[in-house]
Amino acid sequence: MRLRRIGIAVTLLLASAGCGVAGGETPSVSGKDRLVIGVSKDQPGLGFRDGYGTYKGFDIDVARDIARRLGAKHLTFKPLASAEREGALRDGDVDMVVASYSITPQRKTQVVFGGPYYVAHQDILVRGTDTTVRNVRDLRGKRLCQVTGSVSWRRVTEERKIDARLLPASTYGECLDDLTSGTVDAISTDDLILAGFAAQRGNQVRFVNAPFSDEKYGVGLRSGDIGGCEDVNKAITEMYQDGTAATLLKRWFGSTGLNVTTTVPQFEGCG
Amino acid sequence: MTITTTPPSSPARRGRVPGRLRIRTMPGRIRALAALAAVAVLVVLLVTTLTVRDARDGLRVIGHDAGPQVVATGDLYFALSDMDAQLADALLIGGDAGLASRRAAALRLYEQRRSEANGALLQGSRLAGSDPTGQRTAQAMLDALGRYERLAGQALLTDQQSNHAAGPPPAAVTALYRQATDLMKLDVLPKAYNLTLDNGTKVRRTYEAKRSAVLQGRVWVILTGLLLLVVLVGVQFYLARRFRRLVNPFLALATAGTLVLVVVSVALLSSEAGRLRTAKEDGFDSVLALSRARAISNSAHADESRYLLDPGRADTYEQVYLDKSQTIMYVPAGNLDAYYTQVDQKIGGTDFLGFYGTEAHHITLPGQQEALHKVLTGYQKVQANDRTIRRLATAGGGRAAISAKLGAGTDDFGDYDKALVSLTDLHGGAFDKAISAGDHGLRGWNLILPGAAVVLIILILAGVRPRLSEYR
Repeated sequence: MRLRRIGIAVTLLLASAGCGVAGGETPSVSGKDRLVIGVSKDQPGLGFRDGYGTYKGFDIDVARDIARRLGAKHLTFKPLASAEREGALRDGDVDMVVASYSITPQRKTQVVFGGPYYVAHQDILVRGTDTTVRNVRDLRGKRLCQVTGSVSWRRVTEERKIDARLLPASTYGECLDDLTSGTVDAISTDDLILAGFAAQRGNQVRFVNAPFSDEKYGVGLRSGDIGGCEDVNKAITEMYQDGTAATLLKRWFGSTGLNVTTTVPQFEGCG
Repeated sequence: MTITTTPPSSPARRGRVPGRLRIRTMPGRIRALAALAAVAVLVVLLVTTLTVRDARDGLRVIGHDAGPQVVATGDLYFALSDMDAQLADALLIGGDAGLASRRAAALRLYEQRRSEANGALLQGSRLAGSDPTGQRTAQAMLDALGRYERLAGQALLTDQQSNHAAGPPPAAVTALYRQATDLMKLDVLPKAYNLTLDNGTKVRRTYEAKRSAVLQGRVWVILTGLLLLVVLVGVQFYLARRFRRLVNPFLALATAGTLVLVVVSVALLSSEAGRLRTAKEDGFDSVLALSRARAISNSAHADESRYLLDPGRADTYEQVYLDKSQTIMYVPAGNLDAYYTQVDQKIGGTDFLGFYGTEAHHITLPGQQEALHKVLTGYQKVQANDRTIRRLATAGGGRAAISAKLGAGTDDFGDYDKALVSLTDLHGGAFDKAISAGDHGLRGWNLILPGAAVVLIILILAGVRPRLSEYR
């Protein structure tokens, strides 16, 4: 117990010393040579780690592009589960999060969001043989996969007040296995994620195509990094203006049949 | 005014550090001291001029360039967003005879907003001047707006032909409206909103850079002014000792003049920094936040119409309505019912975040509290109407929901919007006042500073001239 207290005291001391070095201001992602970027590792098409440990996907390419425009030269990707994102930013484990991270009013009280760099829509994935689910209301009484730290299940049971049975999982990859094995009846999250899964599993699963929300994918930054957020927005504007965004969307989702938007989204604003 | 170096013939040169200045003659020393004083005057002049220029640049960008652009782009967003809102209302009414006058009113307002938006865009592309990015954006928006108007026209025509009762129109109309509203929401409006944010960024960065430059410059004015005073007093003492005179009146005058100049400059720079701060923190920040609140309020209000108009997308429209409401005024609530309750509970206090939270936690102007109170009670009414409209709609009373929407729903929203505009104007007034006070304070300083420097140098020369003439 005593040791732990000493540990806490030392940590606080180190933390305050760190603040002293930075002049008490929030360290910004702008002008940093090295950036650690929090990403997802199990979302095909968005952010996933392949067998060789390489990160791939739309989010990864967007993160690279933004980082390049911010002037960073060395990037490190760090896999984060949905529930870890705010904490990782707050503790300084990552400088920035690009991981299908929806901007919500609640999260805005904890982190600053650059972007959105894309607006996705929540939809539903069921087993290929299931014809009973046509829209979100049909999830009443069904077993729905609940990923800790994700807002998607809330949109169904809390926002839309649909009485689905929630079965917890830690990642959407796990949900997909549960869906095909029959442990859950439906996965509901963003169309970009589901499109990737659908492409992976063929007619084992069915994409319902009844969107019921706007999910603004933001670039999560440490609370207070206003300058960094403004620079991220500038980078995203350029990414759309020079056609990079359209190319990336086509590369990752061109074959899914999803109707993607190639004009710059309305930003959330940094202040 | 020349500095005499040691003559090469001088025997004293041997054994000295080469190149070191050595002034041998008395007139040479006096000239050197006068030159030093004159250089010090020029340094003070330079430092003060540069700092005054920083203040002037800050006022120009914040007060006359990016600041007013925020208002202009905010108005553009409002006009565009309201076009789509009026179109949705007109389509919702359809051929309903009882609501025909409301439909005509919506179409009139649509036309008015269309012409406002076109005017603002044309002006915007002129204002963009030679800036290629700005021009490209303005051009892209004009093009997209043209496409929007064509789709809106087709939707209205198809709607008229279908002659449907008040409520969701036939699928063909909905399909056309979806294309139109998507174009507005995904292409046109983001560009207008991002322009507002860009100008906000420009103001914030200019403010931080220029205000700290003025405050740092002020320190340099004091330091160089002190240096000049030390030099002048030093010359005074030197002459007094060497020539056994009491006070050199010209140099005394120059010293007093320097003191006055430095004190007045420092006072000016302090008040300019203060005015920049007032303009930014009591004026601009609120104008920006409230312009954004107005833009988002209007688009949320339109989402309410779209919710009734397009049942296929009603879920999404309801979700974005809640999301936008929480951006305007954040209270923790997982769904709309909880949100209405929380708003009712908390609207009297200051225990909320979002744009109105920031405003409520920063009361600095006379009349601001009362103006904000009007906005908040207006907002509460708008949310109460929203609750009624959705309750009627889900209970199957589509017609009743539409009547509520087009009746009290529209009127109360109008009152709320007016209250919001007058609160914004209150901050706009504080902003304009601070900027014009800043402009006024700097008026004439382009002449005052060089003039003062010339006078000081003349006084210094006049002060040393009689002493030099003793050597002729």
